[in-house]
Amino acid sequence: MIVKSSSNWRLVLFLPALAGIMLGSARASWAECPAADADALAWLDKMSRSLQQVSYHGVVTFQRGDEMQAMEVANTIVDGMATERLTELTGQGAEVVRVDHPLECVHPGHQLLQLGTSLKSGHCGVSSNYRFGVTDGELIAGRQAVRILIHPRDMYRYGYVLELDRETGLLLKSSTIGRGDKVLEKFQFASLSYTSNPEGESGPRLVHQAKHPEYINRKLSAGGGRLAWSVNWVPHGFTATDQQAAISSRKTYTDGLAVFSIFVEALSQDIRPGEGVARTGGTISYTRGMHMKGVPVLVTVIGEVPLNTARMVADSVVEAS
Amino acid sequence: MSELMRESLSALLDDEANELEIERVLSKVADDPELRATWVRYNIVHTVASGQQPMHLDLDISARVRDELGGQAQGGSAFRQRWLRPLSSVAVAASVTVAVVFGGQQLAQLENGSYDGQAIASSVSPVGMVNSLGATSVQASYGTRSSVPVLQPATHTAYQELARQRLQKYMQEHAEHAALNSPNGLVPFARVPRIQE
Repeated sequence: MIVKSSSNWRLVLFLPALAGIMLGSARASWAECPAADADALAWLDKMSRSLQQVSYHGVVTFQRGDEMQAMEVANTIVDGMATERLTELTGQGAEVVRVDHPLECVHPGHQLLQLGTSLKSGHCGVSSNYRFGVTDGELIAGRQAVRILIHPRDMYRYGYVLELDRETGLLLKSSTIGRGDKVLEKFQFASLSYTSNPEGESGPRLVHQAKHPEYINRKLSAGGGRLAWSVNWVPHGFTATDQQAAISSRKTYTDGLAVFSIFVEALSQDIRPGEGVARTGGTISYTRGMHMKGVPVLVTVIGEVPLNTARMVADSVVEAS
Repeated sequence: MSELMRESLSALLDDEANELEIERVLSKVADDPELRATWVRYNIVHTVASGQQPMHLDLDISARVRDELGGQAQGGSAFRQRWLRPLSSVAVAASVTVAVVFGGQQLAQLENGSYDGQAIASSVSPVGMVNSLGATSVQASYGTRSSVPVLQPATHTAYQELARQRLQKYMQEHAEHAALNSPNGLVPFARVPRIQE
């Protein structure tokens, strides 16, 4: 299964690359965005919209290494508001809900995917940083899928294979592909129904209300004694997910597909410079002990990006002037 | 220093550099002090992470690198030969690494010897590491201009543990943003080790 998809992956990625070379200089004249694969971008646009705008519920599996989790997910649209729910069926059994998220509230990551007509005006979104291929997919959760192969143009991000519902564009399955075509994590619907979910009974479960940026920022800015810092470098195409004050302890960036966050904490005692890495599936936690104008700090980059990216981002963190 | 160069350096450090990147670094390392300084910095943190004794990397490695390259490239352009014979370029990269690492280890051993009998003042940092920075003077020797802090092997484990703890501490906050800015909806929360209310 994996072997088969990885050979397809290479083949399909090679062809657009070749076409890109052959088109060469002509490319710039008919489109501002290099080698934009209109078909793939249209699918990603549809995927991004359907995630919020379509009512559905189903069971998904999430696999990282040997670990497999199962959860119920549901999205219900009422009066232009989306209510999302994720209920873990394994492990902790926690529930995460986001109630009444307005459909017109489109966050930066999805703005990069919902290119629509802006492609022609020079906003290339994800196509600046990834190459695409579109092929027929298999049946997933009883739905016919279309497969989007996404290959990074540089070494700062992972590749993806996304399989979308041919009819609705909903993301049915996604695999994160690391170096050497290794599958780092995989998410997949096992069953899916396009109806509103009957209100699940939560019982004594822990319920977490997913936060919106304003809330998170308010909560964090309450903490005092923080360092003013800035990030001097992020890979091309990454944009901040929310407005952040220089003294915030976190900054998050997305390129539409990958997301990473930087956390900076000032330490009360000295620390020896060094770095540490922890990985789970596609997620990396990179911690660097360093000094910022004499103050010992711990810079941590957490996200679904390669180690190199995390290290280089951490390396670029400086005290804000 | 260009972004491309930093990328190549980092890749080289992780043994993930491709032919082009190796070529890029090697061709610049001789006349770019900033590149060498970055290499030193990357190496210090990397060495700690891999649990080795720190090396004195502030050496002028460019001469060695040039020698290695010169030796390998006899009879034609080094670049061309490398493209035509991919295996030999791997060998070049490997031998350059060996030259740098070997030299560094020898120095570390030498200098370790000089610490005998010296008390190293230390204090426990909030993250459970022992700090010996600046507690003792390091003798300059053989091509080194400045010293690298003495790091105990425990630092390696301590930093790994730190990275693991930070993952637990920060994953949920990261997931809040990933859930709003990536195509999987609330699924990023499945990556949180233990969801808090």
